Amino acid sequence: MFTELNSILNASPDSFTQGEFILVTDRQSDASFLIHHFLCFYLRARCKVLFLGLVQSLNHYSSVSQRLGVSLAQAKDKGQLIFLEGLKDSLSVLIPQESSKASEAMDFLRDPAAGLRSLYQFVRSRLSGAADGDGGEEWGPPVLLVDDVSVLLSLGVSAGAVLDFSHYCRATVCSRLKGNVVMLTRCDGEEQEDEGDDEGPENLLKGLTHQCSIALHVQGLPTGFCRDIHGQVCARVLCWRQKQTDGQCTPSKLFQYKVHDKGASFFARGTSSAVL
Amino acid sequence: MLTELLQQGVDSGGFLIIQVKTHVTQYFIFYCKCREEEVHVLGFEVSEEELKDGLKITHNQRLHFHNAYADPLGWNDNTPFTVHRFCAEELTRLMRTPHSKPTTLVIDSLSWVLRHVKCPTVCRTLHQLRKGGAARAVVGLLHTDMHQRGTVGSVGHLATCVITVSPGTKADEAVAKITKRLKSGKVIQDVGISIGEGGEPTKPGPNMLNVPLWLFTFLQTDPAANLTFNLRLSDSEREAKEKLALPFMFSKEKKTALLCSGPGSGQIVYEPDANDDYDEEDPDDDLDV
Repeated sequence: MFTELNSILNASPDSFTQGEFILVTDRQSDASFLIHHFLCFYLRARCKVLFLGLVQSLNHYSSVSQRLGVSLAQAKDKGQLIFLEGLKDSLSVLIPQESSKASEAMDFLRDPAAGLRSLYQFVRSRLSGAADGDGGEEWGPPVLLVDDVSVLLSLGVSAGAVLDFSHYCRATVCSRLKGNVVMLTRCDGEEQEDEGDDEGPENLLKGLTHQCSIALHVQGLPTGFCRDIHGQVCARVLCWRQKQTDGQCTPSKLFQYKVHDKGASFFARGTSSAVL
Repeated sequence: MLTELLQQGVDSGGFLIIQVKTHVTQYFIFYCKCREEEVHVLGFEVSEEELKDGLKITHNQRLHFHNAYADPLGWNDNTPFTVHRFCAEELTRLMRTPHSKPTTLVIDSLSWVLRHVKCPTVCRTLHQLRKGGAARAVVGLLHTDMHQRGTVGSVGHLATCVITVSPGTKADEAVAKITKRLKSGKVIQDVGISIGEGGEPTKPGPNMLNVPLWLFTFLQTDPAANLTFNLRLSDSEREAKEKLALPFMFSKEKKTALLCSGPGSGQIVYEPDANDDYDEEDPDDDLDV
């Protein structure tokens, strides 16, 4: 969890805005450190967290979280964290074995054209029961984290279907359950006006940008590689979706960052300690 | 100024397209509409709560929200409105109210519909809504960057006014570019209007393009609705009108009275003085009179 990012987004584990849809994007860069940040942030905030890990194994996430000071295994045992391990589950759908039971969440792999209704129903069923506290501890508002949605495109799902999925997640988690949603999506290519491609990651990115309330866009430095500054983050808060604006609302802020072994530091442009 | 322009659009009849490129000012149009007439909002992208928060409206009887946000595809099996029911008949039924006041339909957004319904179908529905008279005006929002240029063009051709709004320098500020097509075929453009908080236009600001959205308005009005004079006559009025003799109309009596000088009428007598250059010759001699 990065305290500097918290102050940029005006949030802390004790008090954060509910009902937000945070979109994390990267272009020719890696924004997964922000996903780790949000995972630790919401676990610390005692939220019920559903994590759709489609690109990495649980081991990976738990070792990174360990460094950030949060134990995923413990959270999972307590019932605070529900982890969908996409890599493992997709294997059991693609290569069915008697010993392993395939999760209904990954049913879309059988027929990607049918859409992500099964995945959404998995999300809804896991998070709707959160308020009851299912016998254990009482947890805060539900949170859905997805790492990352653009992988679904590679699995044969259309961008429109992913947008439908994200819309339903927003309607259910943000609006109905007053929780938060964090989604990561990546675009590899250069930013361009592609007219012909209706189903690419660019279209997904644009669609999600229209849905989200906070957009964090990670990109490399325009001047090229630097050892002390790893890139820049553009944080854009969509004011009219913000409930408590208090008249203070900036359209977008640009920060540079450096990822450390344990955490990351954020600073205004040109104020890196290596420069000053 | 924008509100004025919209009002002008209403008065002159025809179509109005509004193109918006920011989330901030997406709802300024609702804001001015809500105060005047019945507004039906077909919300796909924003929940009712969020919409009313954005509008800073707590309770408005004339604002009807049709919830297509919670379950637009019927995945939850308790859906008030699904995207596949997007056709003129359904929408007309949706907008039916006990008192037949002029209604405005706001579609938020057409992008959502266009993702699931084919473009020609959407265009036909919009056209039917306009012709059918169920809604006096249809306002639609379209994220232009999410569709191919052809789709945007086809929907755009249905409307009469495009307002492109892009974010300005400050958070609450936006720049609007208005292109209005009048019925006569005249195209009016106005650029550089900035809309401050609450949808009230303030001062012009620099144009910064960001996330493009389109907001369309299709206006269908009766131009004779608010005239200060009558266009048609009742029978008694027509009778009275026919009886009236206009001052420049010559009846026979009037003509004779004017031409024949009666007793007591005057005559012009001209007596030239010494210096007067009086020509004895008839000046009209050469004329064949």
